[in-house]
Amino acid sequence: MTPAIAVTGLTRRYPGHVALDDLRLTVGAGTITGLLGRNGAGKTTLLRILAGQEFPSSGSVRVFGSPPAENGSVLRRLVLVREDQEYPDSQGYPSFKASHALRAASFSYPNWDADLASSLLADFGLRAKQTVRSLSRGQRSALGITIGLAARADVTLFDEPYAGLDAVARRIFYDRLLEDFTLNPRTVLLSTHLIDEAAGLFDQVVMLDRGRVVLNAAADELRGMVTTVSGPALAVHAFTEGRPVWERRELGSQASAVMVGRVSGDNRERARSLGLDLAPLSLQQLMDHASAGPGAAGPLMMRNSA
Amino acid sequence: MNSMIKVARYHLAQPAMLLWVPWAPVAGTFAFSAIRQGAVSSGGLVILFVMFFVAGWQRAGRWLPLGLALGATRRSFYAGTALLGVSIALVDGLVIAGLQSVERATGGWGLSITFFRVPEMLNGPWYDTWLTSFVGLSALFAYGMWFGIVNRRWGVLGLIAFIAAQFLAGLVYALTGRPGNLTGLGALGLTGVAAALTVVFLAGGHATIRRAAV
Repeated sequence: MTPAIAVTGLTRRYPGHVALDDLRLTVGAGTITGLLGRNGAGKTTLLRILAGQEFPSSGSVRVFGSPPAENGSVLRRLVLVREDQEYPDSQGYPSFKASHALRAASFSYPNWDADLASSLLADFGLRAKQTVRSLSRGQRSALGITIGLAARADVTLFDEPYAGLDAVARRIFYDRLLEDFTLNPRTVLLSTHLIDEAAGLFDQVVMLDRGRVVLNAAADELRGMVTTVSGPALAVHAFTEGRPVWERRELGSQASAVMVGRVSGDNRERARSLGLDLAPLSLQQLMDHASAGPGAAGPLMMRNSA
Repeated sequence: MNSMIKVARYHLAQPAMLLWVPWAPVAGTFAFSAIRQGAVSSGGLVILFVMFFVAGWQRAGRWLPLGLALGATRRSFYAGTALLGVSIALVDGLVIAGLQSVERATGGWGLSITFFRVPEMLNGPWYDTWLTSFVGLSALFAYGMWFGIVNRRWGVLGLIAFIAAQFLAGLVYALTGRPGNLTGLGALGLTGVAAALTVVFLAGGHATIRRAAV
């Protein structure tokens, strides 16, 4: 089956800076993938290239088997919602309203759901008659999210879509995304810094660092894959011996270790008997380790980056 | 064609700046002329042409990012925007021709005003006026589009270089002593020159937008 997105050897160079460096990535159709990484990791550049808004320096990009750049048959199945989306609301168009943006989007997407758009606007407390220029940062984000969800495009790309949104509005976004995705499955790629908040949405997690994929794994596989073991130093050493460990810390007689690999039921019993605490790493903590430097997340990266 | 129509509809999601607003200053100038009861052309019609240049600039430059975000290709965006501009020029040219006919029939709106008749350029039969207006408006819309795309792609510095290059080209042309050839062309000859320039502007804009990133 053709993956929704297939990227090989993708490189994007800017003067004095490499945004994407020989990047390889495959995203299956009908999944929600979290695109994670620090500022400057290359997330936005990747999404812009996938949406045909930017051109690669080299490499191959395929969306549903075809290159997206200047390819109408691909681009009409794709929507990109950017944190910094520019609307035609400059001085020349101070009267460009949210309703104008929604109407324009409705012309562009055959599966546009006007009812969904209306209900999202209501949920976000946004009035269609408001000029885009008068919207707050959060309201602009809400407008982008509304367009992205109501478009029901086969590939929906969200680039930090909720900048400025409060926690309640973000929860609305997560809920509505999941609800609509369940009814109308499509391929969603969501770039975010609020990793733990959005972690429950993801089928797949891709982490970028310095323009490269440092982690690409099923979210279920990642949950419980890395564990922090803490307790008496001798017991920690004994428990983690022979296992891949990312990091060790000792303070007096106490120690903690970040250990890679699932912990079986027997080992949990053993940890308990040794007086050790086991705590799975969150996605956010995983990303912190994965982006801490080359080799920091070695075993997990090697397992999943192929 | 379908994708071009979609882009045209995208622009018409907010039609005011394309359809009505360019006529507002023209109407204001016309009203001012009527109050003054001036017997000479006020030149107010020029504002419409300037507004077309501004509209082309804004539509190509400012509307591109959202257009691409909504799945348009650069090619379809450019072609759809140009198609819309030329279509509106066609209709507005007809409006100018119609108003000119009324002006002529009423002896300058009963006030001896020559607002819609421009000596040497727009003063012939209605179809000449229509053609010249249509081509002139189209040329300025296409020229504005090119400016908007240059600004989008290379920013203010690119825009300055673009203007400087044209200034130099104009200077070279003037120094060769050829401008005199233009003055003897007449309205239809100048319309032909404007049509040729429209093609050049459209080709230049298309070449510029092909690698524009947003």
